[in-house]
Amino acid sequence: MKRRNVAVIGCGQTKHSSRRRDVNVAEMVSEAVYNALEDAQVSAREVDAFVVGNMPGFGGVAQPEQWIAESLGAAGKPVLRIATGGTTGGSVGQGGYYVVASGLHDMVVAVAWEKHSDSKEAGATTGLLHVGLGNFFHAAGYGLSLKNLVATSVVGAAAGVAVYQAMFYMHRSGCGIEHFDMVAAKARRNAAKNKYAHLQWPGCTAEDIAKTDIVTYPFRYGHICPASDGASAIVVAEESLARKKAKQPAWFKGLASYTDEENQLQSENFGGVGVTDPSEQRGCWLSAVKAYRMAGIVDPKTEIDVAEIYQPFPSQELFFAERLGLFDEGTAWMALETGETEIEGRMPLDPSGGVNATNAIGSSAMQRILECALQIMGKAEEHQVPKKVRNALAHGWGGVTNYSTVTVLGDTPGR
Amino acid sequence: MRRRVAIVGYAQSHHQHNMQKTREDMVFEVCKGALRHAGISREDLDTVITASTDFLDGRTISSVFVGMAAGAFLKDESKVEEDGTFALYYALMRVLAGTHDIALVEAHTQGSTMNAHQVSCFTLDPQFDRQIGVLNDIAAAALQARMYMNSHGVTDEHLAMVAVKNLSNAAANPWAHRKMAKVSVEEVLGSKVLCDPVRELMMSPVSDGACAVIIASEEKAREITSKPVWIEGVGSCQEAYIRDRDLGRLESLKTAARTAYKMAGIKEPAADLDVVELSEKFAHEELMAYESLGLCREGEGKRLIEKGTTGKEGKIPVNPSGGALGADPVCATGLVRVIEAAKQIRGEAEGCQVPKVRRALAHGQFGMCAQKNMVFVLGGNGS
Repeated sequence: MKRRNVAVIGCGQTKHSSRRRDVNVAEMVSEAVYNALEDAQVSAREVDAFVVGNMPGFGGVAQPEQWIAESLGAAGKPVLRIATGGTTGGSVGQGGYYVVASGLHDMVVAVAWEKHSDSKEAGATTGLLHVGLGNFFHAAGYGLSLKNLVATSVVGAAAGVAVYQAMFYMHRSGCGIEHFDMVAAKARRNAAKNKYAHLQWPGCTAEDIAKTDIVTYPFRYGHICPASDGASAIVVAEESLARKKAKQPAWFKGLASYTDEENQLQSENFGGVGVTDPSEQRGCWLSAVKAYRMAGIVDPKTEIDVAEIYQPFPSQELFFAERLGLFDEGTAWMALETGETEIEGRMPLDPSGGVNATNAIGSSAMQRILECALQIMGKAEEHQVPKKVRNALAHGWGGVTNYSTVTVLGDTPGR
Repeated sequence: MRRRVAIVGYAQSHHQHNMQKTREDMVFEVCKGALRHAGISREDLDTVITASTDFLDGRTISSVFVGMAAGAFLKDESKVEEDGTFALYYALMRVLAGTHDIALVEAHTQGSTMNAHQVSCFTLDPQFDRQIGVLNDIAAAALQARMYMNSHGVTDEHLAMVAVKNLSNAAANPWAHRKMAKVSVEEVLGSKVLCDPVRELMMSPVSDGACAVIIASEEKAREITSKPVWIEGVGSCQEAYIRDRDLGRLESLKTAARTAYKMAGIKEPAADLDVVELSEKFAHEELMAYESLGLCREGEGKRLIEKGTTGKEGKIPVNPSGGALGADPVCATGLVRVIEAAKQIRGEAEGCQVPKVRRALAHGQFGMCAQKNMVFVLGGNGS
């Protein structure tokens, strides 16, 4: 059957920083929603439905959309809550597409956020300890080995799995730590051109990053993303509304979210040990294949003009770029040396600075979709890539290394 | 709707207090069961949508460990973090969009893992209500019950009658948790007062349980089964936070029902629906729902229960399965209602079967005092 044409017509974000003490969750999220509505030039009344999401354990509030509904202008409307860990924002953005593509609604707001700083206040919230203990008692109740407690306690520690990924990739491709320095430096430099980004460092060089200490091999302090407070929102509409409201809508052309088996950490049944190389990322590869097929993209190397890759750790920008078909296997790090992935380069990666510079978990994968939309609409201001953007690729990653969201946006709805 | 979509398979667990099974085992069994019921294999699935919450599951990214058990390995999948009816809604949208044809929807909660009433405190406004510490879902429901009772002259006996109807219906349901064939109004009123007027038997039990539903586009549905249950209408709505709304009514349920009725072409719900399955977490919510669903006029809910109109033999049976008072595996509860409604249409409801069901309504809710509601109207081949 013929698919409904659906587009992003407005984007809104908040300034991201370590601690947004000037706002509470309700105020922070509405800031993004109203920025998006203003960008799309639509009123809250015109919005038919909302798709929302964040990581509830990190903010310490369960089902926060119930508490903040009225602030968002969502009261009295259908609200769908989607939460998938690191990919939450990507899943929420894709949810926005499906709500409109289903024909049940014509205009929705998809919004995702995280307010990490709230959960650092001792006693105020539950955070990860709460969810960790839950699994502990569950396992103990069955008389299962308390190895699970160890597993659970590292679920939230992304660095623990990222080092394995990085090592696998280094061995496979021949890239070195100096290339991670280059990715991180590029992220900080690009972020300096993005007024919403968190870690901004104009003119940052690989040498600057190389001066920071190793935290856990092969990562230096300067390689690792910050924990940010922030929110991002998009307004999604069907074709006739999109053409009426936006000069250049950013059309959803292809999307998918394939999952692989969770690895490293064992579930209650001691499953999840089938993946030996966490940089293999079959889910990402399958998602890309489906998204490209939907979008009619045959050669992503030439047809994708810019990509926003989910890279809280610099190694991830490299192997995901390969998994997404933007570079040949084991070659993405070479492109760094020639500047191909810079804002002015042939294949700009993360011109916004990406997750490496700004990581408000729930919001992070949504920001990738949002940044791609900005590039297509020509609204990326200082970090706008200096070429006509026909297709942009937004990627999200999370879970226990097994979740992926891939979204292709374009300047025309057709293939 | 852009295309017709049908329910083609389903399965649920034996809901109980403490299942003594891992969540992965429980989820695997219902998903495998639904595939077997539909007569298809995992390879036929285009997408999998699960429903659970991190707080209720007591672990971060709750879907990550059950995804494989639900058959999502190398599939296009996602998770909603609320009642299973919302997962069905999302799966339905994926099929309607034309991007997927066959979807599996899974929902589960093990109430024995995390106390659901304790978790409800974490949905409160963290700056004010949570700090004060007087509210949880039971206290809020008691306030709601009192407001509703005061405006419409509803008595404790009316609430007890709802509990009697549902708990005795549950006795005939092999999957239910709290089964009380011979329960009386006196017994319900004599059960422990949790928060006046809410008694223990007027509140849903905290259950362990899971369920799975498979839906398919018309073309695929006709290949899979000769008894598809069509999704004729769907509506959803969330209202404002408990302090910002009129607790004495279920406005969002009214809006959700209106949307679903319009889509399904239902003008007189009391006459057009043959059976209704509700997610009433508290007895008073069922009476309020009668009114919001348009089964009677505002304030007349008590009459339906007095006259036995909503009894199993009544004109419009509500919760012949026992409803949520019979078993409440939180995130699965609404999706179990969908299964019970589909079973009625297919004539597979065993001891709970109501004669001649062509059209059924299934309701799911989430949040304190039923803050968000989802309504599905289902129909058989003849409707």
